[in-house]
Amino acid sequence: MVKMSRRLVLVTAMMLAISLVIGGGIVTGQSRKPFEGVKIVAFGDAGHNLKPFEWYKDKIKEESGIIIDQVVGVPFTSVYEKLKTEFVAQTGAYDLVIFYPAYLGEFAGLGYLMPLDDYAKKYDPKLDDVSTGVRELNIRYGGKLYALPYDGDVLNLYYRKDLFSNEVEKANFKKQFGRELKAPDTWDEFLDIAKFFTRKKGEKLAGETLKEDFYGSAELAARGFSYAWWLARFGSLGGVYFDEDMKPLINSDKGVKALELFKASLKYSPPDVMAYGYEELKNAYLEGKVAMVVQWSDIQKKAQDPRISKIVNRSGIAAIPGTKAGDKIVRSAPMPVGRVLAVPKTAKHPEAAYWVARYLSVETSLHDVSSSETGLDPYRKSHFTSPKAFAGLLGSEEAAKEYLETVGVNLENAYPEINIPGAGNYQDVLDLYINRALSGEMTPKAALDAAAKEWEQITKKLGAAKQKEIYLKAVETWKSLGIWK
Amino acid sequence: MNPGGIAPARARDLSLWTDKKLPVLFIAPVVGILLALAIGPLLFIFITSFTSWELVSMAPPQFAWFGNYANILADGRFWNAMKNTLILLVGGVGLQLVLGLATALLLNREFRLKKLVTSLFLIPITIAPVVVGFQWRVIYHESFGPLNYIIRALHLGNGFAWLADTRTALFSILAAEVWQWTPFVTVVLLAGLQSISPRVYEAANVDGATPWQVFRRVTLPLLKPTVIIVALFRVMDVFKIFDLVFLLTGGGPGSASESVSLYTYINGFRYFSMGYATALAVIQLVIVTVICMRLVKMMRVGRA
Repeated sequence: MVKMSRRLVLVTAMMLAISLVIGGGIVTGQSRKPFEGVKIVAFGDAGHNLKPFEWYKDKIKEESGIIIDQVVGVPFTSVYEKLKTEFVAQTGAYDLVIFYPAYLGEFAGLGYLMPLDDYAKKYDPKLDDVSTGVRELNIRYGGKLYALPYDGDVLNLYYRKDLFSNEVEKANFKKQFGRELKAPDTWDEFLDIAKFFTRKKGEKLAGETLKEDFYGSAELAARGFSYAWWLARFGSLGGVYFDEDMKPLINSDKGVKALELFKASLKYSPPDVMAYGYEELKNAYLEGKVAMVVQWSDIQKKAQDPRISKIVNRSGIAAIPGTKAGDKIVRSAPMPVGRVLAVPKTAKHPEAAYWVARYLSVETSLHDVSSSETGLDPYRKSHFTSPKAFAGLLGSEEAAKEYLETVGVNLENAYPEINIPGAGNYQDVLDLYINRALSGEMTPKAALDAAAKEWEQITKKLGAAKQKEIYLKAVETWKSLGIWK
Repeated sequence: MNPGGIAPARARDLSLWTDKKLPVLFIAPVVGILLALAIGPLLFIFITSFTSWELVSMAPPQFAWFGNYANILADGRFWNAMKNTLILLVGGVGLQLVLGLATALLLNREFRLKKLVTSLFLIPITIAPVVVGFQWRVIYHESFGPLNYIIRALHLGNGFAWLADTRTALFSILAAEVWQWTPFVTVVLLAGLQSISPRVYEAANVDGATPWQVFRRVTLPLLKPTVIIVALFRVMDVFKIFDLVFLLTGGGPGSASESVSLYTYINGFRYFSMGYATALAVIQLVIVTVICMRLVKMMRVGRA
């Protein structure tokens, strides 16, 4: 009996020891995953920019224990209305949201978002590495951090370098316009080149007979973001949104001239250009239908993807055209969209959501902005100093350097988006009237006068004094960054 | 004292009370549900329409009396949306009735595969509006859409940017709407035609009526109540048109194809001006109610 008891004690002790070792291991393993089993729901505009969630969901789970339970996508132009509805109703449906920084003033100002400063102390989002414009304009509000950058959108000029370097075309252009054929420096030159390259089916282009009509340029002229293509002209003419008393200046002479320039370019665009959103504009360029487009920074990457592009190695990128002011050329590159990652105040798992936001903004960002699979664009200093990461995609390290340098130049000439409360409303009204002028429903002057009148009403209904205070603060920031003259 | 005499009186009183109150008790839950589900939200919309309530600033609603209604009457964009809606209403319902009646008359004849053809007619009605929108976007596409392909193949021109041109955008929506809902009109009118007694036609034939006279004097008058009912459904539906406009043009180019429903949605869910959006909704409700009452009156006059 004694022998049996001793054996029993020995076996029990051994089993206990083994279980402690195994159990300890499990406990240790669990402590390495701070959010084991936490499920988060993410939200953003549907399509290629949500791919990183799919790519890294296993890795995120492996490293943190977080399960990406659902990624909800909505149409590109419906982000504001969908998010605002959720925030007003305080549904708590999303833990992590992607939106455009134009809405940051409203979303943060009304307390819909969680300040991220405390989390940033715990998990470093490496903000020193973020480009100054993106860091100061897109992710902070009232001195607090409310978002992490995800996409560094800015508009650039793309042109068909094979056509621009064709000897016959060069000679013909010089004969017609008395100057060299090169990427346009001004909006007037842009129109000349667009006119020059607009050809009918059966005519010759770079020595080949055209099987279809060919167009000099194309614009994003559909409702939604067409205002940004107008801003590119308006900003270069020195236009500003409001004066110091919140009187709209969009209908100034500069505004009207900018809209006339925009409208004039449609003569050299495909006939259905009024229905061109991001996809249609991108496709027109990649299918080789147009000689030039102004577009977001991802287009050069897409142009190099033979699965979707007929112009591989034939696309050039340049600084956005501007306006001559004395000896100088004033350029103004709007930054529409430019996604950020934020955590709603009603999020069920805010810390886990921040962890994922940081992971995508820091750990995987170089890969994501240098992939042709996404529409995400560089926004970190380390992105701009990593041409090797883009070299494979863009053909060579030289091409990658040229791309990054040009995007960098356009970011230096950035024109800020209006980001005060009601930004969605101001932008939508402006976009509507620009669209009405482009479609011929109204003259540019009448359209902008009507838009300015509606802007006054929006300011009034949101509280003129409060709006003025916020706007003037925003202007101060823009001036301190050197992007507002 | 005759207790036996009082008891029947009490019983009678109780019976009277029961006769009067019991139905009320039975109806009360239904009335309660109706108030909560239908009248309540309607009342909320009505009250909200008299406030200035801007969710963008999250300021509390303020009573604005008839301010929203006055602003709407002075709002050019509202009148443009109303004009577009009326074009879709008159053009769409009119065409659906004419084409629906023509196809119903054809389907009312006996021919081979009649059942199959009638069933095929129902397909457009069963398709989800999102699919219809996508399908017509492809059909109308300037470069690779089949419509322009046919126009080019027949050497009728280069085609059009159907959805991107202010002259064609609204009519492109109208065509898609007519395509989807004409079969509904056909099916309802076919049922109406089949409910007309053959004896009436026999009598007309005996009297020597020509086919046109039969159609004009027999078929149309007897079909009138069905025509009015189907028109009533279509008027209510087309006046609220949103899905096809949203999917095909988003109201553009400019505001060339913006409908009142889309404009209401934009005010409510893009500008978050709840007072203004609900005032727009009330105006729509009043207009559609007036039109429908007129149609119902026409039906009653027809019956009398």
